[in-house]
Amino acid sequence: MAGEYREYNYVAADTIDVSELKPLDPETKQIMKSEFSTGIKLTLFYYVFILSIPILNWYAGDFMFSRMWGGMTYSWFFTSIVAMAMAFVIALIHTTLYEKRLKNQAEQSTSPADGRRIG
Amino acid sequence: MSTFMEPKFLLTLILMGTIVYITYLTKRNATASDYFVGGRSFGWFTNGSAIGGDYLSAATFLGIAGLTYQLGYDGAYYAFCFSIGLTLLAIFVAGPLRKFGAYTVADFLAYRFHSRRARLAAVAVVLAISGFYAAPQLLGAAQILSMFFGTSYEFGIIFTCSVMIFYVGIGGMKGTTLNQALELWIRLGAFLLMVGAAIWGGLHYQDILASINEFKGTITGTAGFTTDRKDIPFDGSVWTGTGNYFPSFWQTMSMTIGLSLGTIGLPHILLRFYTNPSAKAARRSALMAIGIASAFFLFAVYLGVVGRSIFLTGEADPAVMKDLIAGGNNMVVPSTAQALGGEWLLGLVIAGAFAAVFSNLSGLFIASSGALAHDLYATFFRKNITEKERVIAGKASIIVLGVLYGILGLMVKEASIGHLVALAFTVAASTFTPIFILGIWWRGMTEKGAIAGLVLGLVSSMYMIFFKTTLPEFLQFNVPGIITVPIGFLSVYIVSKLDRRVPADVNEFMKQVHSKESEAA
Repeated sequence: MAGEYREYNYVAADTIDVSELKPLDPETKQIMKSEFSTGIKLTLFYYVFILSIPILNWYAGDFMFSRMWGGMTYSWFFTSIVAMAMAFVIALIHTTLYEKRLKNQAEQSTSPADGRRIG
Repeated sequence: MSTFMEPKFLLTLILMGTIVYITYLTKRNATASDYFVGGRSFGWFTNGSAIGGDYLSAATFLGIAGLTYQLGYDGAYYAFCFSIGLTLLAIFVAGPLRKFGAYTVADFLAYRFHSRRARLAAVAVVLAISGFYAAPQLLGAAQILSMFFGTSYEFGIIFTCSVMIFYVGIGGMKGTTLNQALELWIRLGAFLLMVGAAIWGGLHYQDILASINEFKGTITGTAGFTTDRKDIPFDGSVWTGTGNYFPSFWQTMSMTIGLSLGTIGLPHILLRFYTNPSAKAARRSALMAIGIASAFFLFAVYLGVVGRSIFLTGEADPAVMKDLIAGGNNMVVPSTAQALGGEWLLGLVIAGAFAAVFSNLSGLFIASSGALAHDLYATFFRKNITEKERVIAGKASIIVLGVLYGILGLMVKEASIGHLVALAFTVAASTFTPIFILGIWWRGMTEKGAIAGLVLGLVSSMYMIFFKTTLPEFLQFNVPGIITVPIGFLSVYIVSKLDRRVPADVNEFMKQVHSKESEAA
């Protein structure tokens, strides 16, 4: 099973200066880059939405606390309804893109991972 | 009706019976993997429900609606902050953490840096966060028992710790996960019934918000329950605006940062991703938990508004009005349930409240048990420990934790639940959040950097909460995330840059947690 736990020998590993660190293998580098790029874009978009709520509440309060639907204000709507949906939608996009990437990777030929088995 | 046939007794007894039955069914824990990570056998639905159960504590089940009822918009803002963290966890941590695949949170640091010191520092932080989180849950449990069954505070603490010792000690992660999943659906079911009853009763969201917003004056029918015998004044326009709890823009921002990033560092939540069979299942579990949590927060805020609306009309049963005035925030959900659906709905909510306490506490017990038995005992005192001994150590540590948390619970009788939960989130956001994000995504992180981040993050967050009044006024935050989270991240970054000594096999580590081979398997 992937990542099954094994005891690890503490003694063997040394440290090296970060300048001596070899580049990551192209495959891992590509996966990390792709994952991080997707994650950071989604996070930036999400945080712009998140932080815009308190900013607008404090600096454009007249608009945010004006009514949009019955007694519901824009601020109430975005904070307690849209934000809840947004948390799920962002995670759904991320998971969908990840599974798509995984499927594409599985279609490509692979060589078995070697080296340190820690998990 | 005999006492035990009252819905609140009956439904709570059914819950307890189910817990005992599930625990009995899952009592066989032959290996450490069975005991600490449930044999990594849980699919996304079960584990997603269990993560939801772990995350949505009693403070959330009763507290969010209560805060909305009391503070209006600022209370709803709390739910907003809590809803953010699981999504960030799903994006940056869930999948790689499962590919790493160990037993405990401290394992991550120990193997990332081959370091016993890093493991020790991580254990200290796990125990600190779990302690700060467990204390308010025990406080809440004792209060619920006292409110609904008339028991003493001390009895409540001892009873809850005893249930936990039985439930986690015997069932291990398997029993804990199944119980957490079941308990989550009891709570969500109670909320769904309440929301359905409120809508059926014509309490539409936009309409009741409008009537609350327009209310200005005194609430009729409340004088009989107040100490000064006067009706309670209320201004709806203040309630629906901001500034009731957050005195400034920066206080709001600080809480947003602290609570949203805190979830990534909660040990009992991180641990749950080890129990999936694959990284794909871990990510789906996170998605499922986010869906559950989002629905839960949406309902909780709405029910807080419903509670306020019922209270303002002054037409509720006198017992409900009395509970809403005298019972404090934690009584809002039960009182609203009673007003909407009578004794049976109240009974379900009480069972749901216990489910919330047990679910969250069991996650904290299992996370701390791993820290004591696996990270401390098996690493530092019994190097050649067998599988069986490791399981026994895990069970023994549950008893130790039951006693320790019990003492802690007795000590915090007068403390504020919100204050302690905020402390747990702030410490998590300032310690494990930088460690996991940078540890998974940045090869340049060093052992010294990690330890510096843990120590400075822990010390700064504890100081800024416990000794708030010694700081200049502009630094006195209710949730000091805006200061302590950057301290955590910068400590790791700066010390790592100065140290420069990275593990020689860090590339292999990155391959392990990111590669498609470990994924596909």
